[in-house]
Amino acid sequence: MSPAPSHPAAAPDRPAVAPTRSWSFPAPIRHTLANGITLLAYDLPGQYVLAVRALIRFGLAAEPAGREGVAVMMARLLDEGTQRHTSEEFAGLLERHGIAFGAGVADGGLMVDVDVSARHLGAALDLLRQALTEASFPEDEVRRVLRSRLAEIEQERASAGHRASRELIATMYAAGERAAIPNAGTAATIGSLTREDIAAFHAHVVRPQGAVVVIAGDLRDLDYLALVEGSLGDWVADPMDVPGPRRPIPAADADRIVLVDRPGAVQTELALGVPGPDRSVATGWAPYPVLSFVIGGSPNARIDAVLREEKGFTYGIRCGFRPRARGGSFVVSGSVRADSTIESLHLLREILDRARDGFTPEEVRAGVDFVAGTAPGRYATAEAVADEAIGLALEELPEDFTNTNLEAVRALSPERLTSAFREVTGTGMTVVLVGDATSLRQGLAAQGASLTVTKQ
Amino acid sequence: MPLAYPIHERTLANGLRVIISPDHSVPTVTVNLWVGVGSRHESAGRTGFAHLFEHLMFQGSARVATGEHFELLMAHGGRLNATTWFDRTNYFETVPTGVTELALWLEADRHGNLLAAVSQENLDNQRDVVKEEKRQRYDNQPYGDALIEVYAAIFPPDHPYHHPTIGSMADLDAASLEDVHAFFTAHYAPDNTVLTLCGDLTPQEGFALVEKHFGHLTAEAAPRRGPHPALPPLESPVRVDLQRSVPNDRLYLAYRLPAETQDEFLACALALDCLAGLSTSPLVSALVRRDQVATSVHGSAWGFVDGVSLGIITIDVAPDQRAEEVEQAAVELMAAAIAADLDPQLLEASRAHTERAWLAALAGQEERADLISHYALLHGDAQTINTRLDTILAVEADAVSDAARRWLTPEHRATIAYQAEREQEDVA
Repeated sequence: MSPAPSHPAAAPDRPAVAPTRSWSFPAPIRHTLANGITLLAYDLPGQYVLAVRALIRFGLAAEPAGREGVAVMMARLLDEGTQRHTSEEFAGLLERHGIAFGAGVADGGLMVDVDVSARHLGAALDLLRQALTEASFPEDEVRRVLRSRLAEIEQERASAGHRASRELIATMYAAGERAAIPNAGTAATIGSLTREDIAAFHAHVVRPQGAVVVIAGDLRDLDYLALVEGSLGDWVADPMDVPGPRRPIPAADADRIVLVDRPGAVQTELALGVPGPDRSVATGWAPYPVLSFVIGGSPNARIDAVLREEKGFTYGIRCGFRPRARGGSFVVSGSVRADSTIESLHLLREILDRARDGFTPEEVRAGVDFVAGTAPGRYATAEAVADEAIGLALEELPEDFTNTNLEAVRALSPERLTSAFREVTGTGMTVVLVGDATSLRQGLAAQGASLTVTKQ
Repeated sequence: MPLAYPIHERTLANGLRVIISPDHSVPTVTVNLWVGVGSRHESAGRTGFAHLFEHLMFQGSARVATGEHFELLMAHGGRLNATTWFDRTNYFETVPTGVTELALWLEADRHGNLLAAVSQENLDNQRDVVKEEKRQRYDNQPYGDALIEVYAAIFPPDHPYHHPTIGSMADLDAASLEDVHAFFTAHYAPDNTVLTLCGDLTPQEGFALVEKHFGHLTAEAAPRRGPHPALPPLESPVRVDLQRSVPNDRLYLAYRLPAETQDEFLACALALDCLAGLSTSPLVSALVRRDQVATSVHGSAWGFVDGVSLGIITIDVAPDQRAEEVEQAAVELMAAAIAADLDPQLLEASRAHTERAWLAALAGQEERADLISHYALLHGDAQTINTRLDTILAVEADAVSDAARRWLTPEHRATIAYQAEREQEDVA
């Protein structure tokens, strides 16, 4: 690996790295609205597009059995018609004020995102209030949104990556677990939904109790508190008994191989997974982002150093620890050239096995410096700060978690990294392949673990 | 009112254009280089080279070992990558302030002295990686070949945008080390490069560091050809029918637009927004919301500089509908909207949307640096990041209507129509 000897005389030598001034994740100003909603304000001078995030807490267990996906469909319909405006009028209002509006659902609740320039903040907050409290779920719009989800399910089925993820959660988690099917539901559950299901779910869970609103951006000269108080501060509703999020139960037979047949595929999509920690894990979250980086977070990480840079089997395979509000997972995923599938899977498992033996001090240093050093840049915009803040709220973590976790990251030892990886792995992994069954079946059967072949 | 992001600019004696834009909000610096080479500079039989180079640039240079560029910068808290497009190749990293000089040293070594490290071995390896990239992004994705078909249908065979940046795998297979050397020598040189530093440093610090690490480079790029002559709209509709294993029928309606250096391009972009981009536009409103014959409609304008740009409308056909009828309905809706006066509410919405999107793009150092390099290299003026929004907001309704009438009427379209093959019977 020694560099070539000749170079122009004028070129300076490789410079040393200089120290960089310290940085910390910004602290919010905390307000409590008249109705109890928590408002966290992050003043970020120079960030002209304001990011507003609203969290409504509930666990997905609040969805009635057989109606999984109702939460996401409710979220998608919040801006598709309200007591005052048709879907089209509402869209027109959002667009004329240059508001980007989005809503999604995680295992801990509903999150609504609003990005807007300062001069339209008042209008944006009023529309946010209407969406949350006055959504009317017009029959026509409900039918359209459900149909569009069904089309999306078909598109996901056709995408090898999505198809692998779906099979992975279905295999990794116990049957009947909410986490075993996509948040946005399946063709069967979406097909059975009615307008009444969605309106009733909305009435049940969308409430101000426990809600958190984040606003981030250049707040100088802006009476944001009055604007938020004047829109969301008046929202009242009786408290309801709504279940919170909970850790999913793994399947008893999760340690097996599932092959999804895709005849003639030129690549095989691989997904290996095992349940993992969330960010409130008692032993600390710090090792997990570092492990993700060292094992499969860059072209030089252990996985791609072999599968991409040495073998040329893949454009890239990544791994990561994915936290939920409760529980999480460790997933390795990517696609490889079809005829390298068996060798790639073998190499991957070998790399993961060897990771249990430990990491070099150099690897730990690189991983720690990557995670700690990239933090200022990762949280440099209003949008990124607001997303992190609402994520912390969703996971019920303290507002200074980002900073205390970075402190813990800097203090990590190779031993701690090894023990953290051992805590998650070692009891086998779920392996999903989306590829050509005819050519793969035999090689996979020889791997010893239980093999299931399913159709596309 | 123009925006006020600071722009300090200097050209080194070797032709390297350097722009420093200080921003001390967080202790990081983005180093962003745009090289004036993209797939439009490739010749027949040598397609895919610009993109292959993007890969080779991470495989070591005179004093940097294979993979070390990625490894070293990430291990010091950097995030980095590179991309290839028709008009340029860009390389960028965002690093802690104290790592800026190391990043510049690494960039100078590969932009100045790549060839010392290009071997048959790393050429072969990255060729394999690129083939997997193509399989992953184009061959093994539903509709993955759509853009390849769009470019081929809308741009003439001898036009530089006729082929996609991924290029032909046969051309890559045929590439020799000599070809690779010749391509680098022709295009990678300080006088064909813009370097932007955006972040936690002063202009004095920035210029001194760049002079120190890039000042000694002496290469000159081969003479640049002038832009291709402006292409007129297609004279008559072009149609490509594809039967593929895809989840639903989908239509791509593609239009030639003026080069993005022309003001008329901005009018076309607003027109596309008003016709098919906004959720209150006639196409979305009628096809998705009212008649529900499409599950989604998207319209957008992609700006290029070589005499022509591209407008694309994508329509996902609803399961029980016939694609030809949906296409006919879309084309008629567009024709009617273009013939009528532009709805002022739509234009207001498009302007508001553009304003937020533009400010959001400039919010982070990374994308701001990329936009600075973009306008410096392709438009010759880095200050454009501060004035472009005003230019867009000043486009009058009449100009938008005129642009739509000239470029977006039905006869000027190319249609790429995907028809979903019927499900295969289960043989398991």
